[in-house]
Formats: sequence, C-alpha cells, structure tokens
Amino acid sequence: MMIPVRCFTCGTVIGEHWEEFKARAKEGDEDPAKVLDELGVDRHCCRRMMVSHTDLVDVVSPYQ
Amino acid sequence: MADDFDVEVISRDEDGRSARFLVRGLTPAMANGIRRAVVADVPTLSIDTVRFVENSSVMFDEMVALRLGLVPLTTPLDDFELGDTVTLALDVEGPATAYSGDLETSDSLVRPADENIPIIELKQGQRLEFEADAVLDTGKDHAKHQGGVAVGYRHLQRVEVLGDRDGFDEEEPHILRGVIETDEGELVHTEEFGADLTNRYPGKELAVTDVPDAFVFHVETDGSMDVDELVLRAVDSLRDRADELATKVAV
Repeated sequence: MMIPVRCFTCGTVIGEHWEEFKARAKEGDEDPAKVLDELGVDRHCCRRMMVSHTDLVDVVSPYQ
Repeated sequence: MADDFDVEVISRDEDGRSARFLVRGLTPAMANGIRRAVVADVPTLSIDTVRFVENSSVMFDEMVALRLGLVPLTTPLDDFELGDTVTLALDVEGPATAYSGDLETSDSLVRPADENIPIIELKQGQRLEFEADAVLDTGKDHAKHQGGVAVGYRHLQRVEVLGDRDGFDEEEPHILRGVIETDEGELVHTEEFGADLTNRYPGKELAVTDVPDAFVFHVETDGSMDVDELVLRAVDSLRDRADELATKVAV
C-alpha cells in the first residue's frame, strides 16, 4: 500500500527516502543501487524494503 | 575488573545519527549490557493513542495509527518523565499526501525527527484529521520506543604482519569485517579497503587475533536524540540499576 515507515528487520526509518528513490530510480532511469548508496540506505535489509515496494493506493482507491 | 574504560571515537556522522567507537577494558557481559540498555532502556516519545476525527483514506484507522507510532519524535529527555504525554494533531485534505512533517505538536521541542515520511496518500475528497498522544516509554514496552536501531559491537581485531607470503602460493581473498588495529597502532575499518586484507597487505603473511576486552560499538539512532546522548543515557541507566541493587543488598 504505502511504503513502510521503518525497515522490518533493523528499524531504520526508510519511508523518508521513498519519494526520492521512486522519482530517481523507479520512474527515472538512474541505477537503483547508486541512488540507495547516495541516500544512505546501506544495509541490504533496508534496501530490499525500497526495491521490493509497490504503491497500491491508486489500485485500491476506486473501491472505497 | 578494570576501573577505567578507555573510549575512542572512530567515526561519527555529522548529523549525530550514527557513530562507531572503541571501548577498551570491557568484559563481554558489560558490552552486551550497554547494547541492551541502548536498545531497551532509553525512553523515547512515540505516538500511542490516536483519536480520529475523520479518516476517509484507503487505510483503516489502525493502520494509520501504526504508521504514526513508528514516526520518530525528537525527545528532550531532561524535560520529560516516563509516562508523560505530548499532544499532536494533523489535518490534511486530498488530493495530497499527509507527511510526518504535517504533524503539529503542542510542545515546540517535540517534533517529527524526519519530515518526509509519507503517512498516507489522499485522493480527491479524502481527508485525514486526528489528534494523537505521544507517550514517553522504553523499548521494553514497544519497539517504537527504541532510540537505538541496528546497535551492535564486535571485537577489535589485531592484524600482524608475520613476513612475506610464500611466492608460489596463490593469493586468496582474506575477508574481514569490523575494525582492525595495525602494527602501527592505527585503527582502520575494513570497509576502507574493501574488507579484503590482501588489498591492504598484498603478498604478506598475516596473523589476525581478537584483542581481549576491546569492543567496537556501532550505534545508530532513529533521530529522537543524538548518539552521544543515547549512549550516555544507556550507561546512566546501567549505573542506576547497579546502585539500586547495591543499596537493596546492603540492608
């Protein structure tokens, strides 16, 4: 649905970086690994939160 | 047991959110005690109760409340006691995204540590309005109150050069994580040379040993307070409990 606020495994706040990551790597054409490095999302537990996330609000909202 | 601990800071982020430091003269039990105190015993403020006025977003009240609880709030610990509350409020109408930065607080010292966390995306005609109470509690009660995230320690490792490697042996990677102490007494994190000792000491024969009673801590905070304050408070809480035990046993 929405990006989780924190990493499930280590508890670091990752929601903070989602919009920039989305704009640059998911919708833009930058290398996701480089964007995550620049954002300071270093651990692989936090990186998978960002890489594997899909926003579903647009999908769900018509069925209110 | 040694009376004096020798503490040396190896690296520290400019924003005060993460640090790596070496402590000598600790027993493994003490090192773990400090780690546990950082995680579970330093209280932080976190949203605990939410009174929804209107929530016509795609998420249920409970889901929004859970997300709010995880938002880190700056915690001036000198001004609060365990169980104290601060009121927060938010009112956002769609089409817009409600961010943690939109939260209004009743105390100017308490505010969201990160302001860009999306709470919920609101479409046309949807609205989120609520009043919430943040309460000061410890990580023992709920993980959202943990000030430290990803807190850990490793032995300091000493790398000694024994001599040149036998020229006919094939050089294999020698991967090592953490901080090493070199022959010159320099402290280097292995990330600086790709965590592979053969990059730093090509063609050398090495001996790697754990330095007894020396631990390298790595502490990160969620933003509710500085690393310095977090660690000092954790150590204080350990001391307080030791004092309490001493007085109770003495009777």
